[in-house]
Formats: sequence, structure tokens, C-alpha cells
Amino acid sequence: MAAPMELNCWGGGWGLPSLHPESLTVMAYAKFSGAPLTVNTINNSWRAPKGDVPVLISEDIVISQPAKILNFLRKQKYNADYELSAKQGADTLAYIALLEEKVLPALLHTFWVEAENYCSVTKPWFASRIAFPLSLYLPGKMSREALNRILLTRGGPPLYSLSEVEAQIYRDAKECLNLLSKRLGTSQFFFGDTPTTLDAFVFGFLAPIYKVCFPRVQLQEHLKQLPNLCRFCDDILTCYFRLTVSGHSPAGQDTADANLQKLTQLVNKESNLIEKMDDNLRKSPQHPPRKLTRLKLAAGGGESTPSSRLSP
Amino acid sequence: TAAEPWPENAALYQQLKEEQILLSDNASSLAVQAFLQMCNLPIRVVCRANAEYMSPSGKVPFIHVGNQVVSELGPIVQFVKAKGHSLSDGLDEVQKAEMKAYMELVNNMLLTAELYLQWCDDVTVEEITHPRYGSPYPWPLNRILSYQKQWEVRRKMKAIGWAGKTLEQVLEDVDQCCQALSQRLGTQPYFFNKQPTELDALVFGHLFTILTTQLITDELSEKVKNYSNLTAFCRRIEQQYFEGHDKDSAAAAARPAKRSFLR
Repeated sequence: MAAPMELNCWGGGWGLPSLHPESLTVMAYAKFSGAPLTVNTINNSWRAPKGDVPVLISEDIVISQPAKILNFLRKQKYNADYELSAKQGADTLAYIALLEEKVLPALLHTFWVEAENYCSVTKPWFASRIAFPLSLYLPGKMSREALNRILLTRGGPPLYSLSEVEAQIYRDAKECLNLLSKRLGTSQFFFGDTPTTLDAFVFGFLAPIYKVCFPRVQLQEHLKQLPNLCRFCDDILTCYFRLTVSGHSPAGQDTADANLQKLTQLVNKESNLIEKMDDNLRKSPQHPPRKLTRLKLAAGGGESTPSSRLSP
Repeated sequence: TAAEPWPENAALYQQLKEEQILLSDNASSLAVQAFLQMCNLPIRVVCRANAEYMSPSGKVPFIHVGNQVVSELGPIVQFVKAKGHSLSDGLDEVQKAEMKAYMELVNNMLLTAELYLQWCDDVTVEEITHPRYGSPYPWPLNRILSYQKQWEVRRKMKAIGWAGKTLEQVLEDVDQCCQALSQRLGTQPYFFNKQPTELDALVFGHLFTILTTQLITDELSEKVKNYSNLTAFCRRIEQQYFEGHDKDSAAAAARPAKRSFLR
């Protein structure tokens, strides 16, 4: 069999397996293509994340960046795109470029630059998953890098102030979401009934916007007005990640059966216990309970006797 | 204002054709010229050494129409549309989304690769870019301007993750992009079958420039030549929209004959 593959990436919350768009894209692709990945989420006890995240490790090979990781998975015969025509493959590349140019800046802004969002949600979440003292430094660095990227790619004349740049990137992101919605239409996935690379990328970028609860949510509100995109994200979460829409933990077939078994055992134990107690009481002398009864009646009245409570 | 018709003296500004302009800027300029030709709007090309600084966004080309100045293909397409001319009106919503996506692909991969080659490949920088970029200016201004621009471009490359790429990886990206364009074009005359759109203009601008510009090696143009339908596409647009015009036309200037003097 193929060598075992491990993916190190950021963990999830708010019903998502990961908050990080690139990590989410790779996880989704792995599910779509059936690649057996062991997912290690970065947490306090783990080694500090160096360089790019997500990172795929297979024996001695270390690969970062989603595009390269997906290429590697395809070479290992985990290909979600084999049914696509050449033109559809070309469309995939084009739409991914559109996502990166138009949606990513606004996504980065919502998570890392918008002050209220960053301070109340993003920074505490990431800091809690990085070991001290790196947790004091790394979130700030990620925030600065995000702002830098936005300003270098979208800033510059004739937009001279940060607020003008922000207005423009949100306009572009909303327009792009509209385009994606029109392209998706009523189909289940972007190329018919089976999910492909493009679905992984769209899901990776859109799901964090959709699910994470921020104080400032203009992009999320816009997304919620496009019901087919919301349905798209929810479908993938329920079908491939077995997470219910409300965001509770998985209840897959196996665990449901196990739970049912446990419940049955518990009920049986309870009824056995009740029978035993009942037996004991029948065997025990009658007087002590009666005394208790009399006492109880004197105190409050109307209370049922212990023995009658236990009778079936 | 939008209500005014297209004037006769509309002008497109770019850097000096022979000595100064670089691959990426020439591609962008040619794309705009092709677009305007396709819309049947007359424009004359004016070359100025300081075109970049005159531009409202700092990028070339820009057009001067009436009393308005608009730069870069995207805003120019919007501006032209406001005047009532459009190439993409006949497309439905899904096709428009596809067109925008492919235009982003060209910008994301082809244009970035051109910039990488010009400003991050040391040999090309030394032998072509630095001598050309500041050529209208006296020493030391010419070196200062080109170092400043190089620093700016390298910063951007680092922010988008291209700084760590090798030339081979960049050429592979170009190949991937060309393959996608070739597959999308197929056997059709234009990307959206019978009529050209701004996407055709943009692709033409970049591919034609790559095919006809002489660099240190031919690796870049070889990547495009691998796809015969793309070279046929370029030839078709050149013949239809640029031939039969006077010697000042853009494609004539971009031809190999003149280019080979410039190194």
C-alpha cells in the first residue's frame, strides 16, 4: 500500500474541520478523492508551526502549499478530477485564479486586518493553539503579512487610503461571490454530481466566511443572501465531514450504533437494578418501612411510601 | 462624460517602443490596442518616457479620451462600456463569469510570470531590464529608477509567494496557463466562438508579445509555441485587426524585425 500520509494543519471550530482556507481546501480534496490522510491539528503541545501550513508529510517527503499537495495526491492516484474534460480542467484553473484575486483579499481582511474581528476572535483562537511564547508573536506576524499582501496587491493609486482599499476589495469579493453563485446555479457541485478540485477550493475559501462568527460580518451577510452557495457548503460538511449543520460532533453510522448499544445496556442495567431492589424489599421485614411511612405522614402527608414507589 | 461620443483624437500612452518599454508593459498596451480595434474605436499610440508617471494608477497603458484619463484594461473596458460599446453584451451570466475567471488567470499567471522574468531573473535584469527601463534618463537617475522599480516588484513577488520560485517553476506555470487557454480555445476562432471579447484582446496582447519579443533565451516563447491553436489565434487577430493599417500600428512595432535590434 502507499506510504501513510500525515497532514499538519490548523484545527477547526464553529462547525468547521479547519478555520484556515488552505488547510480546509486540502482536507476537502482528501475527502473527495478518498485519500487516507491522518490529520494532525496544531495545538499547544505540538511543535510550533514553522513556515507554511498546511504541510503534507509522507515518509521523507514534505510538501507545503495546497496546489503542490493536490498535485502530489493526484500522482498517488487520488484524483478527484479524472472525469473532467480538458476544458473543465482549464475552467478549474481559471476559477481558482478568480478566487485568489477577488475573494482572498477580503477573506484575509475579515480574519486578520479588521480590528474588532482580529482582536476578539482570530487572535485569541490562534494564540490558544500555539505554544507560549510563540503565541505572543505569531498571530501578530500573520496579521501583518495579511495586511502587507492586501496593500501590495490591491493598494496603490488611485486608492490612497486603507479605507478606500477596503471598500474596493469587499466590492470585488461580493461581485465574485455573485459570479460563483451564478456559475453554480442549481447543480450540486461545480461540475455535476461529483466534487472536484474546484469544489475543494471554493469550499475552502467560502466555508470560513460562512461559518465563523465575527463581530463585523459584511461578507458573511452577503454570502447568506446566496442560498445555493450556503447549501453547497452545508452539503459538503454533512456528507464528507459528517458534521451536522448546527455544528455538533459527528454521529456517523458506527458511532450511532455504538451509542444505541450503550443505551440499551444502560436500560437493561437499570431494570435489573430495579428488580433487585424490589426483591430485596419484598424479602426484608415490613416494619422498618412502615415506621418510616408513619413518620413521613406525620411530617408532611400525602407522600408515597418507599415501597410503593418501587413497585412496578 | 459618458454621453459624449468617442473623439477622433483619442490617444493611448505607453513608454518608448524602441528603447524603453518592457515585455509586461508592451503586452498590456497591445491588449488595450487590440480591444479598441475590436470595438472599432480609433486610437493613436503616443510614446512618452514618463508614461508610467503620467498614469493615474501608475500603470501603463492609459488612454486620454476627451478630458478623461483611464488606465489599465479593466477600467478601460468599463469606460468604453459606459460610452455604449461592449464586446461581451452577448454573453450570458455564466459565460461572463467564465470570461472574468480566464482574465484573472492570465493576470495571475502570465503577467506575473512576465514580471518575474523581467525583474527577478538576474541575467535578464542585468542585460535587458536595467539598460532599457531607465534609458531615457541620464546617469545616475536611470539606475536609481530601475533599482527602485525592481525593489517594488520583488516586494510584491514575496508577498504573493513567488519569490521562492525558480525560473523552471515559473516556466512550468506559464505552460500550465497556456495549456488551459489552449484547451479552452479548442478549435474555435475566439474564446466565445464567433465574436471576440476583451478576453481575446488580453490573451492576444500577452501571447503575441511573448512570441515576438527576443529575450536572453527562447524558453518563454517556446512554451507558447507548443500550442498550435494559440499561435494560429495570434496570427488570426493580427491579420484581422492590425494588418492594413499604417506603419504606426502596434503590431508592426512588435514584430521581430524591429525587436531584434533591441537587446
